[in-house]
Amino acid sequence: MSSPWVYEKERVLSNRLLGLAGIFFLFGFILIGRLFYLQIICGDLYLKMADRNRISVRLTAPKRGYIYDRNGVKLAENKTSFQAVLIREETEDYQKTLQNIQKLLPLDEDELARIQKEIKQKRAFMPVRIKNGLTFEEAALIQVNAPDLRGIQIEEEVSRYYPLKELTAHVTGYVSFMTEKDVKNEWDAGLLDLPGYRIGRIGAEEAYESFLRGRPGIRKTEVNAYGRSVRVLEEHKAQKGNNITLTIDSRLQKAAFEALGDESGSVIVLDIHTGDILALVSTPAFDANIFTAPIPKKVWNELIQNEKNPLQNKAINGVYSPGSIFKLVVALAGLESGHITKERTVYCPGRIQIGQQYFHCWKHAGHGALTLEEALMHSCDVYFYQLAQEIGADKILSVARRLGLGQKADIGLTGEKEGLLPSKEWKRQTQKENWRIGDTLNLSIGQGYLNATPLQLVYAVAVIANGGYRFDPHLLIAEGSDIIPLKQPLFKKEHLDLVRSGMNMVVNRAGGTGYKARFDLNGQKMAGKTASTQVRRITMKERKSGVISQDKLPWKYRDHAMFAAFAPTDNPRFAVIAAVEHGGGGAKKAAPIASAVLQETLRLYPADSYDQENEQAFISALVRQLGVAK
Amino acid sequence: MSFFKERNCYLKNYNLSLTDKMKKFNYRYAALICLVVFIGIGILYSAGNGHFSPWADRQFMRFLLSFVLFYVVSLINLRFWMKYAYWIYTAGILLLIGVSLFGHVGMGAQRWLNLGMINVQPSEVMKIALVIALARYFHGSSPADIRSWQHLAPPLLLMLWPVLFIIAQPDLGTALMLVFVTGALLFVVGVQLWKFLLVFVLGGISMPILWFFMHDYQKQRVLTFLNPESDPLGTGYHIIQSKITLGSGGLFGKGFMESTQSRLSFLPEKQTDFIFTLFSEEFGFLGSCTLIALFFGIIIYGFLIAARCHNFFGKLLAIGLTVNFALYVFINIGMVSGLLPVVGVPLPLISYGGTAMLTLFIGFGLIEAVDINREMVIGRSGSIEDE
Repeated sequence: MSSPWVYEKERVLSNRLLGLAGIFFLFGFILIGRLFYLQIICGDLYLKMADRNRISVRLTAPKRGYIYDRNGVKLAENKTSFQAVLIREETEDYQKTLQNIQKLLPLDEDELARIQKEIKQKRAFMPVRIKNGLTFEEAALIQVNAPDLRGIQIEEEVSRYYPLKELTAHVTGYVSFMTEKDVKNEWDAGLLDLPGYRIGRIGAEEAYESFLRGRPGIRKTEVNAYGRSVRVLEEHKAQKGNNITLTIDSRLQKAAFEALGDESGSVIVLDIHTGDILALVSTPAFDANIFTAPIPKKVWNELIQNEKNPLQNKAINGVYSPGSIFKLVVALAGLESGHITKERTVYCPGRIQIGQQYFHCWKHAGHGALTLEEALMHSCDVYFYQLAQEIGADKILSVARRLGLGQKADIGLTGEKEGLLPSKEWKRQTQKENWRIGDTLNLSIGQGYLNATPLQLVYAVAVIANGGYRFDPHLLIAEGSDIIPLKQPLFKKEHLDLVRSGMNMVVNRAGGTGYKARFDLNGQKMAGKTASTQVRRITMKERKSGVISQDKLPWKYRDHAMFAAFAPTDNPRFAVIAAVEHGGGGAKKAAPIASAVLQETLRLYPADSYDQENEQAFISALVRQLGVAK
Repeated sequence: MSFFKERNCYLKNYNLSLTDKMKKFNYRYAALICLVVFIGIGILYSAGNGHFSPWADRQFMRFLLSFVLFYVVSLINLRFWMKYAYWIYTAGILLLIGVSLFGHVGMGAQRWLNLGMINVQPSEVMKIALVIALARYFHGSSPADIRSWQHLAPPLLLMLWPVLFIIAQPDLGTALMLVFVTGALLFVVGVQLWKFLLVFVLGGISMPILWFFMHDYQKQRVLTFLNPESDPLGTGYHIIQSKITLGSGGLFGKGFMESTQSRLSFLPEKQTDFIFTLFSEEFGFLGSCTLIALFFGIIIYGFLIAARCHNFFGKLLAIGLTVNFALYVFINIGMVSGLLPVVGVPLPLISYGGTAMLTLFIGFGLIEAVDINREMVIGRSGSIEDE
C-alpha cells in the first residue's frame, strides 16, 4: 500500500530519535556530574560559605572591673547613662516621632541635621542615635511617653567614671577608645568592632588591663542577605572584669595632693615593710574623666602646652639629680669601707681644691669640723667630697645599686624610668671620656650624670629605714602584702643606725636643714634628708658677687627641691618623698610637704592599730576582687 | 486533488468518539507530569517560608486551569492541528508583531501582551506554534526531499522569523530554544549530519559577530558566567550564591523547609529561575537526582509516544514538544549550576509562573493527543482523507 520511502523515513526517524535520546542522556549525566561535583565534592566548602553568609558572630563588651583604694573607696567605676535611638521601621512616621521627642529632649539644629541624614542613610532596622548621656530621669520620661514616641528606644550606655578625678588620675590612668595599634590577638580584633569599647591607658587601668577587662561575650546570630538579625543561635554572656584593690589610700592621696598645691611635683608614701604604695601623686594632674569622651581640642592643647606637664607622672617618670639625698648613699659606702667612724670629723673650709678646680660647699663660709651625723644634718658638701675621694666612685656606686638606684622598681606602671647610675665604664662608652676625680666629687653630692626618680629615692630611703631589706613596691594590694625578708640584710645595723641618726638630726636638731618641718605627734617624729639640685651652673663670677636668690630666678631655672623622709624615727614604718620641680630649696619647699603628708599618714595609721588594719584591708580587698561586694 | 491522492500512503477512516479518546488517554503520562507539578508546589510552599501564599496557592490554581486545558487539548482531533498548523503559526507571528508594538516592558524586555483578561507572552505561544508548523511541514517530506537544500529553506525561514522578533525583545534564552528545537526536528527527520557540522563551524565563526549585536546586559551575563568571582556582589552574585545554595545541600540536603540560603534571601529569584537550587539545598544530591530522573521519565515517555505513533505529524509533534521541555530542564539546571550563562529560562513545571505552565500543559495536551490518535493515518497533504 504505502510507498517504500515511508519505511525508510520511519527507520531514519527511529534511529535519529534513539540518537537524540542518547544525546539527552549525555546531557543528563553532565548535569548529574556537575551536581555531584558541587554537592558532594565541594559540599562542605559550600556549606561553610552558606554558614558564613548567614551566621554573624559578634562580641559583646564585658563590663570593666572596678578599682578600689585600700579602704574600699571607688577610684574607678562604671556609670550607666542612657541613650535614645530611633529605629525607622518601628515608627509610623518618623518625622512625627522626631517632633514629639523634641518636646522632651531639645535638639539643636546640627544634631537634627545629623539625625535626618543618618535616618536616610541607614537601613530601616538600624538604630540612629538621637541623644546620648541621658540621665535616668530623662530616660524614664521617654519610657513613660512611649505611646507618642513610636520607634524610640532607650539603650544603656556604660562609661568609665573616676569619682576622685585629678586626685588619682596618674594612679588609675584612664580608658580610651581602642585603636588598631592595640590589637594584639584575635579577640582584640573582635573588640575593635564594638562601638565605644575602651581600654586602659597608663596607670592601673593599663597595668591591670587583663584583670579589669573581663571576658567578652559571643553572640551568634543568623542574619539575612540584608544584614538583619533574624534569630539568636548562640549566646555567651560577657563576664565582668575583676575588681582590683590598690594599695593607695585615697585620704593620703588627697593630703599629698593638697600639700603639693600648685607646685609641679610629686609625692610618694611607701609602707617600708610591705611595699604598699599608700600614695602616689603627681601634680598638676588632670581629670581622667575627660578621656572617656573625645577630648575637645582646646582642652587637649591646654594639657600638652602646660609647662608643668600635667600628663607626666613625675613620681615615676620624672628624673632628677638626687642631690643631697645621695649623701645617704655615700655615707653608707663610707661606713662600709671603714674609712669613717661615728667619731671621725672632717673639716669644711667652704671649698676644696682639686687640681686647678675648686669644689664649693653650699655654705660659702664652711661648716668647720663635722662628724658624719653632723655632715648629714647640715648637708655639708665638703665632707662628702673628702669622703668620696677616699673611698672612690666604685664603692659608692655599688651601695647605690644595692639601694635600688639605676634600676626600675617595677611597680607595673608604664612610664617608670630607670634613672641613671653612671660608672667609669659607662662614661667611657657614652661620653668617650675617662672618669675623672671631678666626676667622683659631683657624684658624692648627687649631681653630675647621676639621676633618679622620686620612686627610686623613696625606695632607697625605705631600705635604709627598714633595716636594709629590699622589697617590691607595688600598687595592687593582693600582690603579696607580706614582707619577703632576705636572710641577711644588705647593710649592717650600726651603719644604718648612724645614717638614720643623721637623718633624725636633719629634722629634729636645731640647725638641721629640715628643722623647720619637724613635728611631734604623740612622740612620733620623722627623720629625713633635704636636697636642692641645681638645674643651672653657678658661674665663678656669680659666686663672687653672691649667688642669686632662688626667689629671684625665673621658675625654670630654680633648683629642684626634694625631701625624703621616714617616720616614726624610733620604729620606722613609712617612707615618703616630696619632689618639687624648680621649688627652690628642699628644706623650704619640699620638707613641709613631706612633713604634712607623713603627719597625716601617722594620724591615719596609729602604731598599734596598723597591723590589724592592714590585715583587714587585705581581706576586704580579696572580697571585692571576687566581686561579692559591689 | 488526484495528485495528492496518488501519493497518499494510508487512507483510513479514523474518527474516535469522545469516550474512546477518554479511554485511550494516557493517565500514567499525565500522572508523571502532575507528580512533578506537586513537587514544585511543595517547594514553593517552602520558598514562601512555610506559607501557601504568595506562591504555592497561586501556582496550584494555575495548575488546575492548565490541567483543564491539557485535557481539552488532548481530546481535540490531531487533524485539526494539522489543518490549521500554518494559521496557528501565522497567529503566533502576529502576536509577536503585536508585542513589539504594544507590549509591556518588564525586566528590561518587551515580552508581554495584554489581551483584556489575560497577559499573553507570544514567545511562549511561538514555542508550540513553531513545532506544529514544522511537524506539518515535514509530515509529508520524502527522504529525498529532506536531503535537498531547497526543501530545508522553508522550515529555516519558519524558524528565523520568530527568532528575530524574540531576539529583538530581547529574550536570548527563548530564541535559542526555538533554534535548538528546530535543529532537533531537522536531526530526527534525517537531515545529513555533515550539514549540522557545517552549521556548527559557521556558528563558531559567527560568534564574534553575534557578540557585536548583543545587548550590554547579555554581554555582562556571558562575561559573568565565564568568571563569576570577578564581581561577587554585582552581576556575579546570582551565580555565586546559586552555587553556594546548591553545594551546601550536600548528599542528603538540609531537609524540607530547612533552607538557609533562600529563607535568608541570599538567593535571588528563588521562586522562579533559581528554584532548582532551593530544591537541591533542601533535598541534597539524592533529591536532585530523583527530580532529574522524573524529568527524564517525562522526556523518555514523550519519545516513546512519538515512537509508537503511526503518523509522522504526530511523531514530529511529540518529539518537538518533548525536546522543548527537555531544553527547559537542561538550560535551567545548567545555568543554576554554573555550566551555562544565566539566560532566564525557568525550570518547567516547578518554577513559579503562569505562562510557562500554561504553554507546557498545552504542549503535553498535544503529546497526549498524539498518543490518543497514534493509530490515525494522516494523508501526506494534511487534509483529512478518509477512503
